[in-house]
Amino acid sequence: MLFLLRRLGFYLAAFFVAITLNFFIPRWMPGDPTTRIVLSLRGKIKPEQIEAIKKAYGYSGSLLDQYWLYLQRLSHFDFGISTVNFPAPTSDLLFYAAGWTLFLVGVATALSFGIGIVMGIYSAWHRGGFFDSVFTPVNVMLNAFTPAVVALLLWYAFSLEWALFPLGRAHDIDLTPGWDFNSAVNIAWHATLPVISIVLVNFGAWHLGMRNTMINLLNEDFVVLAKAKGLPDRRIRYRYVARNAILPQITSLALSMGYVLGGAFITEVVLNYPGLGKFTLNAIEARDYSFIQAQLLLLTGSVLIANLASDILNVIFDPRLRTGSRH
Amino acid sequence: MDQLAATAPASDLATKHAEKSGTAAPTPQQLMAELRIRPTPGPLRNLPSGLQIFLSNGKGMAGVIILAVFIIMAALAPLISPYDPYRRAGKPHIEPGVEHFLGTSRQGKDIYSQLLAGGRTSLTVGFIAGGSATLIGLIVGISAGYFGGRTDEILTFFVNVALVLPALPLIIVFASFVEEASPTIIGLVLAFTGWGWSARTIRTQTLAIKSREFVLAAELMGEAKWRIILMEIFPNMLSFVIGGFVLATIYGILAEAGLEFIGLGSPNSVTWGTMLYWAQHAQALETGAWWEVWPEAIAIMVTGAALVLINFAVDEITSPQLRAARLGGRIRRFLKRRGRSVDVF
Repeated sequence: MLFLLRRLGFYLAAFFVAITLNFFIPRWMPGDPTTRIVLSLRGKIKPEQIEAIKKAYGYSGSLLDQYWLYLQRLSHFDFGISTVNFPAPTSDLLFYAAGWTLFLVGVATALSFGIGIVMGIYSAWHRGGFFDSVFTPVNVMLNAFTPAVVALLLWYAFSLEWALFPLGRAHDIDLTPGWDFNSAVNIAWHATLPVISIVLVNFGAWHLGMRNTMINLLNEDFVVLAKAKGLPDRRIRYRYVARNAILPQITSLALSMGYVLGGAFITEVVLNYPGLGKFTLNAIEARDYSFIQAQLLLLTGSVLIANLASDILNVIFDPRLRTGSRH
Repeated sequence: MDQLAATAPASDLATKHAEKSGTAAPTPQQLMAELRIRPTPGPLRNLPSGLQIFLSNGKGMAGVIILAVFIIMAALAPLISPYDPYRRAGKPHIEPGVEHFLGTSRQGKDIYSQLLAGGRTSLTVGFIAGGSATLIGLIVGISAGYFGGRTDEILTFFVNVALVLPALPLIIVFASFVEEASPTIIGLVLAFTGWGWSARTIRTQTLAIKSREFVLAAELMGEAKWRIILMEIFPNMLSFVIGGFVLATIYGILAEAGLEFIGLGSPNSVTWGTMLYWAQHAQALETGAWWEVWPEAIAIMVTGAALVLINFAVDEITSPQLRAARLGGRIRRFLKRRGRSVDVF
């Protein structure tokens, strides 16, 4: 319990660092959003109006006042007014987009983690064998093929050349997504290509991580003892080695969520999927700063929650942590 | 590996085996050929063992050769590129041919020249980002591990923050407030967000080395702290530092390409990422101009693959278990063919 409380404290502190960076970056940079609005109006604006704009965006007063106001607004999930979807608040669009991204990344991560772990266990058990010597390097190389290129390749082959999958979108335009069979099929069909391309660039990392951790464990005394006792191979493989090797993978899965989300952003842009990545890109082009800043906080929050979840899983699976001692 | 050849037991065993089965004994040379063990070539024998392992590793050397070809081509870019990569060189979308080796882009720029110039920038940015990230990680990791106590607590907090904060959204915020992020700025931001991993491994490694006898001896002799760090600790984790550098460089090159591809870079600079950006913008694939997309896409993939191969070789130096795993497969097959138990390995 103490362990979890310590971790929770750390995540809150890390989130605070992100919030603070998010506050200072636009104020350090040459042009803040209000200057840009004022410049775009080319002098056709009164000083009072400039002041009003600054106030609406939270850029007036001393830095400390601004920071305080910023924190107050954040505590109400008020990310400001979207300049693109004016006058809708940013949070509407943000949560719509986040839903699709969460769906995509959730499915893809579950698949790539599962595939990677299974392949890792197999190639560690048969280390130096054919599968291990061929597929370990190949899968890790796939990992280095960058989301942009992989998604582009898949899109070209399956959407453009053979037209097996749609050219984009999360579902057909005339379909209102609901909890029925038709919607599910339609949504799954649209999500196939993005999910495949996220899985392709991610599962190699889990394959390699699981394999290397398992190989290092296979020479431990407790494994030798288990063999000497004459336990069946299956039991040693899964209960003794894999169970111990999977914990570090869960931790590094949580840590790499930021990286996976980054890859998903690019995949969404290439495949025209209406998730956070796509809308963030639109926001960048339209200079919608409130959206850009909100996506940072949302993603940081989700990554931190993923890490907390992995800590909880670690406590459940690793009895050493339950006593509260330092590992 | 050459010890195996030199020592007698191998041939002894073979003779005994032969006596039992009544066939002619295989010579040690035949056994070594079957196990695919080659004696270390003469010139390598005097090198440090880590370097020996690396140089005799097929995967690692393949990666080094591929990367070397890319680096040489990038370095010679101004000399060997037929056209100016920044200017129009012909009509838009000319197919690859004699005049334009890899065709031209929508804007009529020569793709081959752009590929060379882009490689120059992309590789430089990747290596600078990887190098700076490793350097930050090295300094923070060694200080945290060696000094311990309060210093360690504070530094470890920042290492964990750097590990946990998602890099790409942060870079997006950063890049969107900087008007036109040049490749240099992107490289620096990547270094700033990507040092967590190497700091963590290096801290763990420092903690392991710190308690060894030779460090204690140096401390008892009254050597200066910086000297102990530089001369005693640092050389003993060189392979970890190199491994961290390779990983950070992969991340740097891929992330730069990704960021520029979605249009966060400066569109006027020529890199593999911006080439992809323009190709996507010109709808090159839809209009059938595949040559505007594939060259840089393949270049990025091959560079990534080469670095991964190098990383495999470095991993085998840092972890002897992994090296043994590769050789163990051959030994197990060898024993299996002779009907021996393979459970030992």
